[in-house]
Amino acid sequence: MKKYLSIACALTIAASVITGCSKNDKTPTPVDPAPVYTVPTTYNFDNANFADATTRLGMYTEISTLMKNALTGTFDAAKAKAMLTNTGAPFTTAAYNTSGIQLNDQFAPAFKTDASNFIDSLAKASAAASTAASRGVAGVGASSANAASKYALTSLGVNYAQVFNKNFMGGLITYQIVTTMDNVVNQTIDNTTVVNGSTAMEHAWDLAFGYWGVPVDFPTNKTGAKLWGSYSTQVDSGFKANKILMDAFLKGRAAISAKDKPVFVAQAKIIITAMEKLTGAAALQEVKEVKESISDNMARNSRLSECYGFVNSLKYNPKKVVTDAQIAAFLALFPKTFYDLTLTDVNAIRDAVAKQYDFDSVKDIL
Amino acid sequence: MKKIIYLALTAATTFLLIQSCSKSSDGGSKNTNTGSSFDRKAMLVNISSNIIIPAYTSYHDATVSLDAAVTTFNTTPTAGNLTALQNSFIAAYKQWQSTSMYNFGPAQDAGLGVNTNTYPVSVTQITANINSGTYNPLLLANLAAKGLPALDYLLFGTGADNAAILAQFTTDSKAANRKTYLAALSAELKTNATTVLAAWNGSYKTTFLNATGTDVSSSTGQLVNQLIYDYEILKNYEIGIPAGTQSMGTTFPEKVQAYYSKISLQLTELHLSAIQNLYNGATGLGLDDYLISANNTALNTRIQTQFSAAATKLQGLTDPLSANIISNPTAVTASYTELQKLTVMLKTDMTQALGIAITFGDNDGD
Repeated sequence: MKKYLSIACALTIAASVITGCSKNDKTPTPVDPAPVYTVPTTYNFDNANFADATTRLGMYTEISTLMKNALTGTFDAAKAKAMLTNTGAPFTTAAYNTSGIQLNDQFAPAFKTDASNFIDSLAKASAAASTAASRGVAGVGASSANAASKYALTSLGVNYAQVFNKNFMGGLITYQIVTTMDNVVNQTIDNTTVVNGSTAMEHAWDLAFGYWGVPVDFPTNKTGAKLWGSYSTQVDSGFKANKILMDAFLKGRAAISAKDKPVFVAQAKIIITAMEKLTGAAALQEVKEVKESISDNMARNSRLSECYGFVNSLKYNPKKVVTDAQIAAFLALFPKTFYDLTLTDVNAIRDAVAKQYDFDSVKDIL
Repeated sequence: MKKIIYLALTAATTFLLIQSCSKSSDGGSKNTNTGSSFDRKAMLVNISSNIIIPAYTSYHDATVSLDAAVTTFNTTPTAGNLTALQNSFIAAYKQWQSTSMYNFGPAQDAGLGVNTNTYPVSVTQITANINSGTYNPLLLANLAAKGLPALDYLLFGTGADNAAILAQFTTDSKAANRKTYLAALSAELKTNATTVLAAWNGSYKTTFLNATGTDVSSSTGQLVNQLIYDYEILKNYEIGIPAGTQSMGTTFPEKVQAYYSKISLQLTELHLSAIQNLYNGATGLGLDDYLISANNTALNTRIQTQFSAAATKLQGLTDPLSANIISNPTAVTASYTELQKLTVMLKTDMTQALGIAITFGDNDGD
């Protein structure tokens, strides 16, 4: 009898353990009245529309292509500026010319003047394209590792095509994304009235996603990812920006449609933080590239220009944590002429940026 | 007594069920065995004590001898002292082949790799430095004008034969400047070697031994990354690029390592053998044992076979490699093909088997 009791006891305990186990797998009964909605795994929201952002990134690509003419001395600065304001049908893609939208009015205020100056500086290097670039001499230089890679550099060794490119990422894209997210956090965009199928907040959020420059099923699919969409992947080994941003964009957009305020505010804050950190990570990624082409004067100068561009672009972020004085201190670590760069300089830039953004443990691998 | 047995049985049954319960809640995260039982620390002890530190010690000694030979030659520039100096140089260059693959920690901090062995040299930059009598070793712009490759040029490439070379250091109008430059270069090699060796003999060894994980900043992670990075330098810079594999067949024989002293192939063979030795952990615990413990015996066998196949191909070539590239390009590119097969095994298969992330990027030239 005792024996049976004990076996029964064992079975009972076992059963209760099994029950406990299976109970864990059950969905708990909701205890709060939070809105019920599904966060999708791709940005395929029925009423999503970010065509204008895509158009603007396309306009940027045309400017970027135009800038390659600097290598042959035919860079047309006036045309580049006309592209910024979409004046006089400057684009090859006819739809851009008739789109009624432009880049310039999306720029951070300070970037409007800077963009124009960067274009003028590139034009100076372009004008000297027949000269070989060297210390103190503007012109075009080829990579020592690959003669097909050429760069139009100023007399100080700066590649303004890259400086423009990286500051565009800060002065338009980051500026727009962060501004939108800040408006979402502060509830200054309407999320009630539906216009053209979506609320103003939904649409602004969509445009912010569009500016990131990734496919809707990113990061599973990375085809066509450009600008920040490309860099968030490049830094992924040290900073998981792809997942952080994609999760937040998806969750936030679903929450906006479901009017789940605490959630979309939280996601907007995540995106604000991530965009600044991503800029720091991208600067470190360029430090790594500088090191990878460390003995290649022309390629190294160009990559240092990219790094300089990212660091400088931090200033256009309206919600940046880093101060203007800190940015100035980072920029002061770059030599006046890029031909004077030392390993000590490179490491100082790396260490300063890594410290600012908590990347010390991954500063060499971003 | 029986009761106790049954209680024990009960406890055992419950325990088993809990075990199975917690196992099932792992949610299928069961992964391949990445050698979790492998004693990585013992491998690090072996590799640091028996391979890395002896390599740095030998290289340091070689640079001390080289610098002394330069001093002797500069004081008494005779044909005999030139030959002695050339021999010292060759000894140092050979030793460097088993010293280059630890480019992390102290070596990375000192920029040891690029400061020691950036080639092809810039004869233009070397000449400019000699003519001006000024040389700033800190400028990255001088990387292609220093280190072993610059000595290679100065000691073997400044004249058609030793008599002509000797004249560059005796009767030439810039002989004094040339001797000063020679001394600066050999002193710099010695200083860098001393710095790195001292760090390994000091606190860095502990740092190295204690970073026992497999993440990107762990010692195993860095070792594997740098082994592969250095292997790619061997494959691409010592063989591939000169043989035209990255330029659609257009050869660049002058881009080989040790172009002027004509010992390129000897050096590459030593280099490959040193990388294999590191992989094997010499006669102790190495990556081979690590792979075997991670159930990848077959991969280890393939890697060992491929090391041999690549070495055999290299043995079929002759020095000067630059001449061999012109006379028998097919044999050189065939060697490259064998080397390339090993890249896939090391960079893709081995890193996947061991769960180690590659952190260096391919130069994409953007």
